[in-house]
Amino acid sequence: MKLTRFLKDKLYFILTFLGVYLILILMFLAFRIDSSLIIATSILLFFFVSITLLIEYVRKRNFYTHLLSNIEALDKAYLVLETIEKPTFYDGELLYQALYEINKSMNEFTKNLEFQLDDFKEYIEMWIHEVKVPISSLVLMTHNHQEKFDKRIVTELKRIEDYVEQVLYYVRSENAEKDYLIKEVSLSKVISHVALKNKNDLLENKIDFKVQDVNYKVYTDSKWCEFILNQIVNNSIKYRKKEGISCIQITAEEKEDCTILIVKDYGIGIPPGDLPKVFLKSFTGYNGRIMTKSTGMGLFIAKNLCEKLGHRIEIESKQGEYTKVSITFSKHHFYDVVK
Amino acid sequence: MKKILIIEDEEIVANELCNLLNNSGYETFLLEDFKDAKEEILKKSPDLILLDINIPYKNGCLLLQELRKESAIPVVMVTSRNSETDEVLSMSYGADDFITKPYNPNILLLRIAAVLKRSGSFSEIQTYKELEIHLQKGIIKREGKEVILTKNEMIILNYLLSHQNKIVSRDELMTDLWNNDEYINDNALTVNISRLRSKLKEVGYPNAIETRKKVGYILS
Repeated sequence: MKLTRFLKDKLYFILTFLGVYLILILMFLAFRIDSSLIIATSILLFFFVSITLLIEYVRKRNFYTHLLSNIEALDKAYLVLETIEKPTFYDGELLYQALYEINKSMNEFTKNLEFQLDDFKEYIEMWIHEVKVPISSLVLMTHNHQEKFDKRIVTELKRIEDYVEQVLYYVRSENAEKDYLIKEVSLSKVISHVALKNKNDLLENKIDFKVQDVNYKVYTDSKWCEFILNQIVNNSIKYRKKEGISCIQITAEEKEDCTILIVKDYGIGIPPGDLPKVFLKSFTGYNGRIMTKSTGMGLFIAKNLCEKLGHRIEIESKQGEYTKVSITFSKHHFYDVVK
Repeated sequence: MKKILIIEDEEIVANELCNLLNNSGYETFLLEDFKDAKEEILKKSPDLILLDINIPYKNGCLLLQELRKESAIPVVMVTSRNSETDEVLSMSYGADDFITKPYNPNILLLRIAAVLKRSGSFSEIQTYKELEIHLQKGIIKREGKEVILTKNEMIILNYLLSHQNKIVSRDELMTDLWNNDEYINDNALTVNISRLRSKLKEVGYPNAIETRKKVGYILS
């Protein structure tokens, strides 16, 4: 709160005072009152006015600077009312009251939204579990009656399955408090599950799947980790080179304080300009535009899940040559409790 | 023939599961009365139970818990909820394996076979006619003659052997190989099979593995 702004605000008061003072002086002069009395009265009057203004200024300044600085310091500005004391001057009280009411109604509104969102998420999760039942019967049917069904149906079914899975993990990544469990997981097992899941795609597209030195244990949620790896492998399959032999290499390295899983493919790569943005939500980039099938959600969800699990995911690429994604699982003493 | 009890309330899924398992040489039956599930299970005494978590009256986990008090029948949990928590919980209640829907049928079969193998008497040495097959050592023996097999060849031979006299598709073989962390491609599978054939020829079984065009292989 600036003093000049405050005084400007009080201009009517100061002007009225000066007017009254002028009239008073003129009256004093007209009545030929002694000049020393005029000076004394003037000093008293000015003293009175400045003290009044000053006190008001200080009271207001204390409240408002407190309010403003607290708003700035808080990451959730709407909580500011809890941090300040109720002002002692009237317009401050009114403001306080108004803010309180606004806050309350906003809280109710957001709470409502939150409930709705939770309901929605719950419904989506339930729906996903439900939709998996017909998908599994279709999978079984196509398997049992291979002569009746085209092989393409199996491929399309797998795509449906993948998309459904993606939604599930998107919902989960948003409220990650539940539904995950960190324990010791064997990397080779995670890789094996992902490999089996993509076996047909890999074989049909003649992509060699090479796995080397992955016999490490990491601390993670195996289901989430499988999903993350699956997204990466899916991308490698999707963005393969159309001619020549493609290959996906998976290796792992153990360091003193972490284990790094590296997935490298020799696909079309990512343009340097797109590279920093691949983890952003709905980002499809140049490759996404030429493939048209991408939603830009896969890596976003993968990154989100990694963050929740405390892993680091990084991507490195050279357009036209390779893409290398690495996931770093830290080995922190924090995890000792789950051993 | 091994008997498998399927506990699944979705009729289509249940019937297709029966179909799948029958085709792979298991005897199957469905649980009819979900109310007194435990009694029915104990009466039918199957070799393995495929148990869905979402079933009427009692949730699969509860049923499993009750069942475990009286019987050690191997149980494979099948569910559409795939979270680590569900898996750990089921395992702690005594499930032998946990598979999430939608499952790959070949993998389901492999898992079932693995669970049955674990629970049954499983010998390290398998035999095919007069041939001894040492799984761990990776060798086949006949009348003092020894031939070393690679890991891939052993996986293929073992799979063919456990499905003797039945046609095995390339996809099944491939799934089993991939399931054992051998991520080989189509050409490699062909090469492995022809190597296996010539090794079987060395010990006197030149025509053990027959090719059925467009269907697969058969060990007769």
